[in-house]
Amino acid sequence: MSGDRVLVAAATVHVPGIAPDRLIASATEPDCGPEEAHTLLGRKGLLFKEPAVRLAMCAVHRALGLPPGRPTGPVPDAAGTAVVVSSNLGNVATVCDIVDQVRAGGLRGVSPMQAPNASSNIIASSIAIRYGFTGPNLMVCSGATGGLDAVRLGALLVRSGRAHRAVVVGAEPADEIAAGLRAAGGTLPGPPQGMAACVVLAPAEGSGGVRLHSVRRHRAPEPVPAGGPRTIRLACGSGSGDGPDLAALIGGGYGAAGVLQAALAARWLTDPATRPAGVEDAAEAVLTCGSAGDGFATARLCRDGDRT
Amino acid sequence: MRLAITGSAMRSSLGDTVETYKALLAGESGRQPLRYVAPAGVNVRHGYHVDAAGPERPYRASAWLAECVAAAAREAGLDCARQRVVVLVGTGLRELRAVERWRADGQPVDLDALHFGAAIRAALPGVEDVVTVSNACSASSHALALAADLLQLDEADAVLACGADAMTESMLAMIGRVGDESSDAVRPFDADRKGVLLGDGAVAVVVQRAPDDAAAVWLRGVGMSCDAYHETAPDPDGLRAAMADAYRRAGLHPADVGLVLAHGTGTALNDPTEAGVLAGLFTDARPGPLVTGIKGAIGHTSGSAGLMSLLVAVEALRHGQVPPVVGLRTPIPEAAPLRLVVGGPAGTDARIAQVNAFGFGGVNAVCLVEVRHER
Repeated sequence: MSGDRVLVAAATVHVPGIAPDRLIASATEPDCGPEEAHTLLGRKGLLFKEPAVRLAMCAVHRALGLPPGRPTGPVPDAAGTAVVVSSNLGNVATVCDIVDQVRAGGLRGVSPMQAPNASSNIIASSIAIRYGFTGPNLMVCSGATGGLDAVRLGALLVRSGRAHRAVVVGAEPADEIAAGLRAAGGTLPGPPQGMAACVVLAPAEGSGGVRLHSVRRHRAPEPVPAGGPRTIRLACGSGSGDGPDLAALIGGGYGAAGVLQAALAARWLTDPATRPAGVEDAAEAVLTCGSAGDGFATARLCRDGDRT
Repeated sequence: MRLAITGSAMRSSLGDTVETYKALLAGESGRQPLRYVAPAGVNVRHGYHVDAAGPERPYRASAWLAECVAAAAREAGLDCARQRVVVLVGTGLRELRAVERWRADGQPVDLDALHFGAAIRAALPGVEDVVTVSNACSASSHALALAADLLQLDEADAVLACGADAMTESMLAMIGRVGDESSDAVRPFDADRKGVLLGDGAVAVVVQRAPDDAAAVWLRGVGMSCDAYHETAPDPDGLRAAMADAYRRAGLHPADVGLVLAHGTGTALNDPTEAGVLAGLFTDARPGPLVTGIKGAIGHTSGSAGLMSLLVAVEALRHGQVPPVVGLRTPIPEAAPLRLVVGGPAGTDARIAQVNAFGFGGVNAVCLVEVRHER
């Protein structure tokens, strides 16, 4: 996709277990972990919800600017809002837990409440149910490019007129099964309590704001061009990036990485106070996620009004 | 803008598209004793398997999908080096069976092979742009909707919308756990239905912009909606919203449709809900379309189900013969207003079909397809 018709209307990252100012320099409060998600989401409706679902909901809740607690009905403009979520490991713990119980001869011990979690789209549908989003609902499980694949599909739904708004989320858990699979696959470990990020995409009307310029897929990492305008560059899977600290954090994002990159870039492009040391002012951001096995995706975000 | 289906292939427990269609006309079923998983452990005794006897091969869904994708691209005459080709794979279960074998049987697992990018790139050299969408039982129909959008916005020259699923032990366990008694067969819309059973398979459909009126099959429109209501129970309003969206996009009315391929899972909740919504949709379209479904013959193929139904609909319109609902003997009362095809094939001269696919989480996608060639 390309064009400047999609606005990043809101962006949040939710990465518990790390210093809050590592990603958003102005952040002072640590993000709540999956076990404390009730402090933001309210207690009701979290039973049997997997960590990735809880983290994803936290990111959405904050992107929507909602007060703590479970919404009592659909949030404003919920009807027709699309949801696109990327996660690869979100429900692997449930899948393995069910098989463990079956192999131990204990099918009756499997709770029917776990049934929805056996389906990989549980994160996307849970968000729709909680906030009342009746637009197209997509779950992307596309490996290391999944985060930017989700951003691209969210933008597609906005540009095709299928949705007046797309809530795009990336989330990965840090449970034992997820960690084991990452190790088996040679993928970097993620943050200790998992991670989530959310960008809200909407049609760009008028001027200003951060625009999603393009998302495209390619086979190999691309060299960084010399010269050109000052650009925020975030990359994972290709050995380049803005500082080893951030690169390691984002590099462990797996299916969440692309959304995390987009959320960070949108915040950094807009607000100087959010930029950690080493991230300088720029009018555009180039974001790359992927891996040798999955290929790569690159997105460009631009601050409207000062593109060269 | 006209969109055409220019190539397709599928693999079900009854064979390829032509074999599956012929077997459906004959009322056959691909049901077999459950393989690979101990039936007592999951309280499920039957499945609709693709593979012949033998040990369980890893990444089976990827292998079936690779065959389907290559065949569909060949039929469409795609040139992946010159055309912008995007592949969208809809799946319910991904290759999660490999995670289960890793966990319980100590088999090695390839993280990159849990989704379908590598398998597609191997089958279609030159293609890079592959996205796996895990949208439960309506996944491949969601892929078809996104394919239409990509073509309409000129972001691709051809899109392969696909489905691929091999049954998992965990999903079998949930089916066996939720049902009180083990289902012996899928009986869509039947008063004696005992629940769903799973089927294996894969499907691929090539969609392109139609340069002229010569195309034989038009994709008229695909609607999507989300119930935002319940994690497993369907909501009639959500089903209606997806149907209304499809008709609006296609510029069609229910009276234009002569055939419906229903989602029809043989479960307590889906069938009466879907039947009631269809009865309402066609109230003013007497006598209404013929209604059939494929899951009684090939099981619930999860994410592949929607596009498999689409290909059967195209065959039925092309040949003027609509296969019966295998496993249906006594329709439920909610289906009384519907012209369900029972017992044997029914003739039709219809040109347009509606294809339903609904998934866990209330994710709904409804397609409208038109067959245009002269019989």
